[in-house]
Amino acid sequence: MKMLQGEGILVTYALGSCIGLCFHDPRLHLGALLHIMLPLNMESGRTHPMKYADTGIKETLKQMEARGASRSRMTVKIAGGAKMFEISGGSGLGNIGQRNIESVHAILKRENIRLLAENVGGKVARTLLFDVASGQGCIRSYGQKDIIF
Amino acid sequence: MKNYEQLTSLEIDTLREIGSIGTGNAATALSQMMNREVRITLPEVRIMGYNEAIEWIGGPEEVTAGVLVKMSGDVGGIMLSVQKLELVNVVLQTMLGTSISGYESLTELEQSAMVEIGNIMISTFINALSGLADVHIKVTVPAFAVDMQGAILTVPMAEYGGMSDYLMAIGGNFVCDGKEVPCHLLLSPDLRSLDFLLRKLGVCDE
Repeated sequence: MKMLQGEGILVTYALGSCIGLCFHDPRLHLGALLHIMLPLNMESGRTHPMKYADTGIKETLKQMEARGASRSRMTVKIAGGAKMFEISGGSGLGNIGQRNIESVHAILKRENIRLLAENVGGKVARTLLFDVASGQGCIRSYGQKDIIF
Repeated sequence: MKNYEQLTSLEIDTLREIGSIGTGNAATALSQMMNREVRITLPEVRIMGYNEAIEWIGGPEEVTAGVLVKMSGDVGGIMLSVQKLELVNVVLQTMLGTSISGYESLTELEQSAMVEIGNIMISTFINALSGLADVHIKVTVPAFAVDMQGAILTVPMAEYGGMSDYLMAIGGNFVCDGKEVPCHLLLSPDLRSLDFLLRKLGVCDE
């Protein structure tokens, strides 16, 4: 997770099934970019909380609130959750993106954070850029036009 | 059960040896298919973390082609072959007499040839592994994707990321017609299988 206040752009590269979350508090111009890989933290030692949707979101909110952010003002934009490979035989492989999307939705709802925009699913990787001053996100994908959201 | 980071040097050497034999066989298979000499430089086998692996194959945003199979049977896991443009062109040139300037101009036939190359390299590697360790490994039909390699690499990481942050990366250079082209294979057995494999090979020190 990267956090920045004032001006600047946060970037996370090549999101496949992972999801990038742009947290924004417009009054403070405070932004955080979280990159999660898996839907639920089942580690017993909990050494990498930011890798998982549940513990990652909670920890990010905690750190933003410690800098004065308020949940009532805060918004989130998310991108990612693609399915990179189509495996025949229909095993669970490749569904992680979808599971990540569902988990992120559920946790944001539970934490009472407003989901402002999303660009999720599909089959393409995304690089996510997040401007903390304006709260604007930009998605770069291979062979496609940039998407501003 | 062992994590990658807990492997002893003997165990890592064993994995390295497997990597070396596997890529050697893959080069032979490639050579037979293209009907010309393909040599391979001494492959490098490394156990590394995700971020390190991304840097090792050339950064997250670079676009590459990946062929992926899922292993099941005695050893479960994922095997991924990452094909750089240089390798693709050498193969296409010999097999079809064509070459591409970028992945976006791949025709259906060329794409199919690439899937086959990936499939052959992965399968010969797995054959060598299963012969050496006397285990049965089944693989799925190969899946193919062209995209940012950072995202392609997250597939094995996300599948087993809950258990380990490491994967085994095998890299070597194929030398064909005097040209040296990089070849990368990534093997990520799940931890139960890694344990089983090392025990089968007689190097597990427990």
